[in-house]
Parts: sequence; structure tokens; C-alpha cells
Amino acid sequence: MNILIPLLVLVPFAAALVIFSSGARAKAMVAFGVLAAFLTLLLSIGLVVQVHQAPLIENASGSIAPRVEFAPEALRIALPVSVGGQAIQWRLLFGADGISSLMVLLTGIVGFFTVWLASYQITNRTATYIGLLLASISMLMGVFLAMDLLSFYLFFEAVLIPLILLIQGWGNGEAPAASARRFLLFTLAGSIPMVIGLISLATSPVRYGHESTVSLPALSEIAATAMAGSTAVTSHDSWTVWLLLLGFGIKLAILPLHTWLPTTYAAAHPNTTSLVASVVAKLGLYGILRIVIPLTPAALSYEAQMVIGTLGAIVIVYGAMIALTKDNLRHVLAYSSLSHVGFITLGMMSMTKEGLGGAALQMFNHGLITAAMFWILSMLEERRGPISLASEDRGMASQYPKLAVLLVFFTLAGAGLPGLNGFVGELLTMSGMMRVCGTLVAIAVLGTVLGAWYGLKIVQRLLFGSNGQTVDLHNHPKGAMDLTQREWLPLVVVAFLCLYIGLFPMRTMKLFQPDTDRLATWVEPVSKQAHPKMDVLASNSGAQ
Amino acid sequence: MDAIQSIKAAASHLTPEIVLLIGGSLVMSASVFQRKREREDVHSDRSMYAASALVCLLLAMLASFWRGVPQLSPDAFGLFRFDATALASERLTFLGGLILILMSWSTAPKGRMAEYYGALLIILAAIPIVGASNDLVSLFLGLELVSIPTYVLLGIVKSDNTGLEAALKYFMLSAFASCFFLLGISYLYGFCGSTNLMVIQAGFGEGKRLMALGLLLAMCGLAFRITAVPFHFYAPDVFEGTSVTLAGAMSYLPKVAGFVALIRLIGAGNLSQGASSVIIPVLLVCAALTMCIGNVLAVAQNNLRRMMAYSSVAHTGYLLLAFVALIRQDANANVLFSYLAAYAAMTLGMFACLGEIEAAGGKSHLIGDLAGMFYRRPAASIGLTVALVSLIGLPLTAGFWAKFMVFVGVVADRRVDSISLIMGVLMAFNAVIAAGYYWRVLSTLYSKSVSNVPLRVFRPSLFVAYTICTVLTILWFFVPASM
Repeated sequence: MNILIPLLVLVPFAAALVIFSSGARAKAMVAFGVLAAFLTLLLSIGLVVQVHQAPLIENASGSIAPRVEFAPEALRIALPVSVGGQAIQWRLLFGADGISSLMVLLTGIVGFFTVWLASYQITNRTATYIGLLLASISMLMGVFLAMDLLSFYLFFEAVLIPLILLIQGWGNGEAPAASARRFLLFTLAGSIPMVIGLISLATSPVRYGHESTVSLPALSEIAATAMAGSTAVTSHDSWTVWLLLLGFGIKLAILPLHTWLPTTYAAAHPNTTSLVASVVAKLGLYGILRIVIPLTPAALSYEAQMVIGTLGAIVIVYGAMIALTKDNLRHVLAYSSLSHVGFITLGMMSMTKEGLGGAALQMFNHGLITAAMFWILSMLEERRGPISLASEDRGMASQYPKLAVLLVFFTLAGAGLPGLNGFVGELLTMSGMMRVCGTLVAIAVLGTVLGAWYGLKIVQRLLFGSNGQTVDLHNHPKGAMDLTQREWLPLVVVAFLCLYIGLFPMRTMKLFQPDTDRLATWVEPVSKQAHPKMDVLASNSGAQ
Repeated sequence: MDAIQSIKAAASHLTPEIVLLIGGSLVMSASVFQRKREREDVHSDRSMYAASALVCLLLAMLASFWRGVPQLSPDAFGLFRFDATALASERLTFLGGLILILMSWSTAPKGRMAEYYGALLIILAAIPIVGASNDLVSLFLGLELVSIPTYVLLGIVKSDNTGLEAALKYFMLSAFASCFFLLGISYLYGFCGSTNLMVIQAGFGEGKRLMALGLLLAMCGLAFRITAVPFHFYAPDVFEGTSVTLAGAMSYLPKVAGFVALIRLIGAGNLSQGASSVIIPVLLVCAALTMCIGNVLAVAQNNLRRMMAYSSVAHTGYLLLAFVALIRQDANANVLFSYLAAYAAMTLGMFACLGEIEAAGGKSHLIGDLAGMFYRRPAASIGLTVALVSLIGLPLTAGFWAKFMVFVGVVADRRVDSISLIMGVLMAFNAVIAAGYYWRVLSTLYSKSVSNVPLRVFRPSLFVAYTICTVLTILWFFVPASM
């Protein structure tokens, strides 16, 4: 029974409740909120250490095997509904393996620094804002630590409530109210139908003579035995997998369902956006990795693998091309984020060891890089107002040298410079996909070229040009200041992490590789069966 | 068991309802004596009537508490049957009644308070009678005992044109629906030769088309009470033309009566193959139309009352899906009862919050009337927020479990083809549409435009009413078993 798991969810939530009920003493609550977020970060580091030290489960009978668990007997849900003649009694289960602990760490890091920056970037109702941030951090922790379908879904839905209030209440961009509504409706349009997919997953054991259950390890075992029998896909299975993909696809903004993303990112405060883009957008990917791939491998590989993979490849190029044409920096970053998420989708849909491992790593990397980019954007907007790339003569490098260095660093990390973390993740996802479909990789590589292009465009237009003295700054009191200590600390910490992962990727991979490898050993055969021509490279090298 | 004994047993089980009926009659007749005195102090009148109605309800609750859980009576041939359905209908009614009486405390019509509370108490007595009835006669009488005081209530709360329109419309259509119901049950009687529901349900097994016709006609009569499409047309006009409290009552009490009567009439797993092949498709189509029409028309409304009327229609659609699951024995009746309980907490909570504006002399007819409410009446706005989040069906509120259980009941059924799966998906998309219009109200509350919401009037009874609803809505999320 691991005590860190409930604490990770409860500490930020309790802190949020304290802040909401503080009323008139709200000013003092800002520091309290930052402290609570810091405590959450420490807890998440503690969890990673625990997962790292926990013994590996060698011969698990399913593809999901949490290394630390929190599953008290009392956490049961009884519903007055019967499935296959039996009343429903579902036991809830929390736990973490390598993949989820990595996402918990990402939430801890990004959450803490977002709260830290919010404490002075948000000037209006700061304490309430921080309270809502803490509430969303708590819900996000819940999603990543859930080891059963029901609590996963509960937290997945609940995270909407604080987020929507953050977007609507503090959005300072284009039409925050309309964007908040669009965000809500899009997300619900995916997640409410998704619940039907989840229910039919939970009741699927009845077909094999078991009781219905929501526990992910148990369901993955049943899926494994089912795969050993036959991989025939019934219409029920294909409904299930498409409903799940609809829900997760909207959250991760897969191509035709992505239109909520740019409007939301452009409307919300960049501080909110950093949390949304780096962690919330990962919920969809995490859901695919945690639920769709392990539990419905046959239906996924026969019906959806190539469709989603192709959409992922297209979105890489599409996002990059739109990013090139946009002038508003918020839009550029939104579409670039869209484009980079495509790589992760691509890696997952390869369903190979490299692809899944790379996707898990890249989820973390992309979270760090995107958060840092949006933090930088928020700092720039504080100094200069809305940032447009239309005028070429900015010369910010001479005014803000520290900021310039960090902006160049993160742009390069995002563009996939070798030695930085983006390179490792993208390379792995692409090499995973290479064994399934080379064409998609060819398209994706095009995206990296475009990615470098708009990255350099940002750097060139913002940082270089004139010496920057021509800009009229009297509307912006902070306009002439370089980064303060409070500002560069989060960026430097994240930059070091990026560099560390880029230089020693295997040390990070060790945390979760056993889990992604185990997943791959279960699902790769099914995917091969569905696509007999796959693994072109392996068969070619065998022939020579 | 002879007749006297069975009447005795029924009387002892029905003590709470008898208390309510006597109390209601007394309160109503109090007006005769009241008239003679010069009435100047409206407030003391208000408090007196509300308090006496509350005392009646509390006495009834005490009676039901002392009676305890009745034993399942083996005697299935009396007029009444006391089982889980009877108990649940009683609890649901008392919950709604408590909140409605608290809401009425400051919203009841000035001149007609005795009639108002008398009629309300009689409705509260009638619904458990419907829930306990085991005979077509007692079922019909119970339903009429709900309807007739409702006509009175609608007639007395407002004397302007919209009020009269609402009362007249409801009266005509309700009488029409009762005729359908009577026609239907006369077929059932003619077919089975008995008015006892157990006998009739045993007769379903012989499954003739005529039987299904009788059931369908009876269901038409009940569809009016639960505002199912195509019997929903009166709902928006009635909601618009009546007081805020009665709009709440109209969205909840007839639904409880109607669904309890449906459960009594059809029951779980009684239908033969032949009968269910007619009735289930009809119910499914009706549910689908009810959800879609309710939600689509609600989106188009700027009038809050009309929106809530269509939203109440939409919720009937979800409940009908749960009812189909019940007939197929995929879910037990508790799914319906839990949904109704959650619905009571969220809808009555919402109307109670609106009542606070009305009681302070403001308007709550249009969605725009609520603009900036949060900055003027924060407590009511928080209550409204919780109610709306629950109506959307997001977690941390009872509305989530209500919808979730319906989903499980609908989807878990693996015996049939993908029809039930499609119904589930349809319901899910309807829930998304619904989220759109609830969110519109929600964001209006917090908008920073000029606010017309009145300040500085605090009504303890309304505050207690919506606090109960808010607390229940949140509590039931964490303890779904207690719904």
C-alpha cells in the first residue's frame, strides 16, 4: 500500500479547497499555493524514486503491471445495474508503473513552475487562479495514477471543470468565452461517447465467463488470453475501439478533430496554456497507451492502426505548414505543438518496442519543451504585449540576452537537435514506425524540416534584426527588463532536464522501458498479423 | 386473508399518506375560517401555512420511519403492494416535497395559500399511493389524485394570461391523456378478466397483439405525465406560465408518478417475446425522439423556463432508456430511482436558486436576466453552478452517476444486436448538446456585464432549500449507494 499515491491527488486538492475557502485572506494564500505545488513536486519525485527501486514484475500475465499500488478494500463502487445477471461491484485501484510515474513527474514539474510563475504573472484574483491550477493538477495526477477504467474516466472528466474556468475566467486573448465553450463541447463530444467504449470494455470479461471488472491489470490479462485464442474482431469490438479513439483523439487533437486546440491556446492566458499544452494534451496519448493499445490490441491493429498512424503523419506536416504561415506567436506555438504531438501518435501506432518506448519518452520531452515555450511566451507578452512575427525588426537578443539564449535552446530542442531530448524521442518513434510503414516516416521527416524552418523563423524575427532600440516601450513598464531570477529559474531547470535526457537517454528510458517492452511483446504479434507486409527492414536484412 | 384484514394491513402501511391526506384537507379547509378575519399581515400567514404544511410532511416522514421497512406482503391480490418500489416512491416524494415546501415559503401566491399548500400536500400523498398500488383501480385513482390538485395549483398561482393558458392547457391535455390511460387499461381488463396487476402481468406471457395495444394505450397516458415526445407540447407553456416553485414541481413530481406507474404497470421481465417485440421498439423510438427533440429545442431557447422545460423532456428520454433496461432486466428499478433522486436535487436546486431572485423582486425568465449573478448573490450562484454541472453530468456531482448508470444499463446488454449500443451513443451525443445550453447559463452567471439581479434580500427557507440540494448533489457523488 503506497501512501504517496493518495497524497499526490489529495495534497493539491486539499490546498485548492483551503484557498477557495480562504475568502478575504486570499493574498496570503498565494504563497501557500506555491508551497503546496512544491510539495506535490517533491511527492512526484518520491514516487518516481519508489517506482525506480521497486522490483520489476518479470512474468506478468498481462501487459499492465503496476509496480507500486494503492488499493484499499474500501474503494468499491456498487451500482444497481446487472451485467450478465450479476450486480456490479467494481473495485477501484490506483498504482504506478514506469510510464505513469514519468507522467506524474511531468505534471509535478510543469505544475509547480506554472504555479510559481502564475504567482506574479497573474495579477487579477491570483489566489483563486492558483487554487484552480492546483485542482487541475490534482485531477491530472488522478488520471495518471488510476489503474482502473472508472477512476481514470472520473478524473479525465473532472479535469475539465477547473480548466474551463481557467480559460474563461483569465483568458486574455481572442474571445475567451467562446473558446472555453468550444473547448468544453469538443472535449465532451469525445469523452461522453467514450464512456460507452469504457463500459463495454469493463463488461467484456463476461464473454469469457469472468465477472465484469474495471481493473486495468485484470482486463489486460483477459485481453492477453483472448488474443491467444483468436483475434477475430466483432462489430462490438470495433465500436469500442472507435469510441475510445474518438474520445482520446479529440483530447490529443488528431487531425480532423483538432480545431478546438488553436482557438483555446490563443484565448487562454499563456500560463494556463502551458499546463494545457504540456500535460492536458497528453491525456489523450496516455489514454491510448494505457487503455486502447493494451486492452483492444486486435481491434486496434485490424481497424484503426494505419488510419490513426496516417493521420498522425499528416498532422506533423499540416501543423508545421500552418505554423509557418501564422504571425501571432500563440498560433505558431499552438500549431507547432499539434505537429509535435503527431510524432508521438506515430510512435504509438507502430506498436513496436522502439515506437512505444519513444512515444512514452517523447510525451515527457514534449511536455517539458512546450511548457517552456509557453512560459517564454508569457514572459515576452508581459514585456511587449501580444507578440506578432509580422515585423522583422525586433532585436530582442540585445535587450534580453538571457531570454534569448533560452529561447534558442528550447527552439532547437523542439526542432530535434541531436544532443537534446527532442531528438531522441522523435528518432525512436520514427524508427519504430519505419518497421511498419516507411512511407509515413518519409512524410514525418518532412515535418522535422518544416519544424526547423519555423523554429528558426521565430528566433530570427524575434531576437535578431536591429539593436532593438527603436521599439517604443513606454506602455510596458517591464519592457526593458531581462529575465528576473524568478523567471529564469524554471526555464534553466527545465533546460538542464532537456540536456540531461538528450545526453543520457538510456538512464531515463530505464525507468519505463520494461513496461513499454512488455506491452510491445503482447501487442506486436497482433499488429504483425494484421499487417503481414510489415517489418520490411527486418525481412530485407534477413534475405541478404 | 379476508378483506377486512387486507384493508387493515393496507391502512397501517399507508399511514404516512393518510397523514398527508388529512393534513392537506385540513390546511385547505383552513381558508374557510381565515376569510372572515381581516388579513393584513401577509408574512405571518405565509409562515403559518408553510409551517403547518411542513409539520404535516414531517409527521408523515415520522410515520413512515416508525412503520419501518414493511415486510414483503405475500398477499398479492389486494389493492396495494408494499415492496421496494413503494418505499422508493415514498422517499422520492418526501425528498421533493420537503424542498418544494421550503421553496413555497417565500413564493406561494398571497391570497390562496391555504388551497396552495392543501393541494401540494395531497399531491405528495398521491404519489406513494401510485407507487404502492397493485390494482388498475388504485393506480388510476392515485394518478388522478396527482392530476386534480395540479390543475388547482396551476390555476391559483398566477392569474394573468400566461397562467390561465398554462392551467387550461394542462387541464385539457391531462384529461385527454387520462382517457387514453383508461382506454388502455380497459383493454387489459378485458383481456385478463382482472384488474389486479399481478394477474395482468402473469397474462403478458400469453402475449397477444391486443395485450400490447392495451399496454401501449396506457403508456400513452403515462407518457403525458413524464413529458415524453409526442406528448410534451404542454411543458414549455406550463413552465413559463407558472411560478418558479411550481415549474420545479412540474418537472419532478409528475415524472416520479409517471415512471412509478410505468414500473407498476409493466414490471421487470414480465413481457413475453411477442409483447416485447412491439413495446420495446416503441419505447426506444420514443426515448430517442424525446432526447433529441428535447435537447435540440432547448438549445434554441433564450427563455430559461422554456429551456428547463425542454431539458426536463430530454431527461425523460434518458429515463426511458433506463426503463427499457429495466424491462429487459439489465438494470433494476434503483437505476430509475437514483436518477430521479439526482434529478430532484439538481433541478429543484436550480429552481430554488432562481426562486431567490424572484422572491427579491427580480426576474429570472430569460437567460440574460442572470448576467453577473455571481457578483451579487454568490451563494445562490454557487448552488446554481453545482446544479448545472450536475445537469451536464460532470464528475463531482450526482448527475454523473445518474447518467453513468443509465449508460451501463443500456450498453451492458449483450444479448441483442448493436441497437442498444447505438442508443447509448445517441444518448451520449445528446448529453453533449445539453452541455452546450447548460454551459451558456453557467457562463452568464459569471459574465461581467451590467447585472439586474436584485441585492440584499435573504430568504432563509430558499437558502435552506438550495443548500440541501447542493449538499445532496455533491454527497451523492461520493456515496452513490445512498442515492
